[in-house]
Amino acid sequence: MADLRVNICGVELKNPVIAASGTFGFGREFDEIYDISCLGGVSTKGLTLEPRPGNPTPRIAEGHGVILNAVGLQNPGVEAFIRDDLAFLKGKGVAVIANVAGKTIEDYAAICARLDGLVDMIELNISCPNVRCGGMAFGIRPENVEEVTRAAKGALKRTPLMVKLSPNVENIAVNALAAQSGGADCVSLINTLTGMVVDIERRRPLIANNTGGVSGAGIRPIAVRMTYEVCRAVSIPVIGMGGITRAADALEFIIAGAAAVQVGTANFTDTLAMPKIVEGLNEWMDAHGVKNIEEIRGTLVLNG
Amino acid sequence: MKECKVKVLENAPLAAGIYRMRFSIPDGVEGLQCGKFVNISVGDGAHLLRRPIALCEYDEKSATICYQLKGEGTRAMGRAQAGDELTCVLPLGNGFHIEEGQRRVALIGGGVGVFPMVSVLHAYKGAHKDFYSYIGFRSKNAVCMENAFASQSIRSVIVTDDGSYGYQGNAVQAFLDDYANAAPDVILACGPTPMLRALKAGLDENNIAVPCYVSLEERMGCGIGACLVCTCKKLDGSRARVCKDGPVFPIGEVDLHG
Repeated sequence: MADLRVNICGVELKNPVIAASGTFGFGREFDEIYDISCLGGVSTKGLTLEPRPGNPTPRIAEGHGVILNAVGLQNPGVEAFIRDDLAFLKGKGVAVIANVAGKTIEDYAAICARLDGLVDMIELNISCPNVRCGGMAFGIRPENVEEVTRAAKGALKRTPLMVKLSPNVENIAVNALAAQSGGADCVSLINTLTGMVVDIERRRPLIANNTGGVSGAGIRPIAVRMTYEVCRAVSIPVIGMGGITRAADALEFIIAGAAAVQVGTANFTDTLAMPKIVEGLNEWMDAHGVKNIEEIRGTLVLNG
Repeated sequence: MKECKVKVLENAPLAAGIYRMRFSIPDGVEGLQCGKFVNISVGDGAHLLRRPIALCEYDEKSATICYQLKGEGTRAMGRAQAGDELTCVLPLGNGFHIEEGQRRVALIGGGVGVFPMVSVLHAYKGAHKDFYSYIGFRSKNAVCMENAFASQSIRSVIVTDDGSYGYQGNAVQAFLDDYANAAPDVILACGPTPMLRALKAGLDENNIAVPCYVSLEERMGCGIGACLVCTCKKLDGSRARVCKDGPVFPIGEVDLHG
């Protein structure tokens, strides 16, 4: 029995497997299928100050080995989360990571202030459209990443801040450094890659929103590469994600330097994907005589 | 609902573009009910999303689903052989429920929407319900399950869009034309959204206030209510999850234009 515990910015997780935001709701539905207390953490459905209805449907489509989604941050609002779901998640003994989004920098600061001390960690979702920056996302330009991170961090006295990085950028390591400069306690990556699938008969995009975020097994090599680049650039912990479907995939990220991983799309393909990954990590470590995650983290050796 | 592996027992064409799959159900799966659905993998690693498909017939040991070959995913599913194992979660959704006092039941089905109607007949076999069925297909080569409806309904009307089989027309019109005869206590319907819209309009125009429940279709992610991919708009302005709060809703509660 290997020791799967990891400590990220002072938050202890019983294992490095975290449910990725948007695929897991607030955990209740998956808990009907298995006891989610076996997970290291849960990153909640993206929360905003006010409830949001999200985008029109269809909100999902498929490519080869990938899916695209454009849910558009439908959520009941942060107050409903605090009132209806927070106690449930805390009771499960998982690290509760509130994924938060906003339209303005002030929104981000306000929602962080509201959740400060209530959750184990905040995950800043900065791939939402930004009206203040001419339609670009907060997560695209490093100066914006740093600014929104600083504002969020300023509103947090007790809860560590994780900044979720977009891969749709010139250099993700530069943005990771910007988050670090802004005061991020850790970063997570990658968010989805922007894509489109066309219905050739109707000559229209399949998703009502036209474009959607690409995720799933097919994006994993990109995600591993970016995780490696960010791990090499920053001195804060990195949480890796993108196409993880099994323990071996999770190990790629950990070997590349990730302190923990998130699992998203795989939950759609197999509702038991995450408990299987936890079990698989333990088996692999036992089989390889690895006693704890730290022994293998960041042990990647590049080819000469 | 339970995550499990099911073994394919049969998988063969039923009508033009429609396949029927029967699979075994492992022990411990409970709560199968008419109008509920399964979220099943297509058995092909390239397609990560499962396909939400309504139960058609079922017992304790096996279940039947009927699906249209629409894209690469369902075509892959069509290639599954007897003995193959597919992963799925089942049963999902709220399903149809007919109250005791509701004896006369109108069933309206269009296209693949006929199969959930078969599940209703199946579930209430021997329950002393009087079924009036109005079933529509595109054309003769798509007609199927005719006997299931004919054998259990007081009246069963088959229509086709092109008139190549049965009456020419649509299932909603067939129902409205026969409404006085059927005089249903409850109406259950499943079919394409334009069909459900026509049903809503027909009920409104004819001042029919009989309880009416419709089963909605939407592209889904998780299928269990977590991801909010498949939500529909309700007339009170809120959104409901088709997979978890539905797929069956009172017709007066959902915005069929949303």
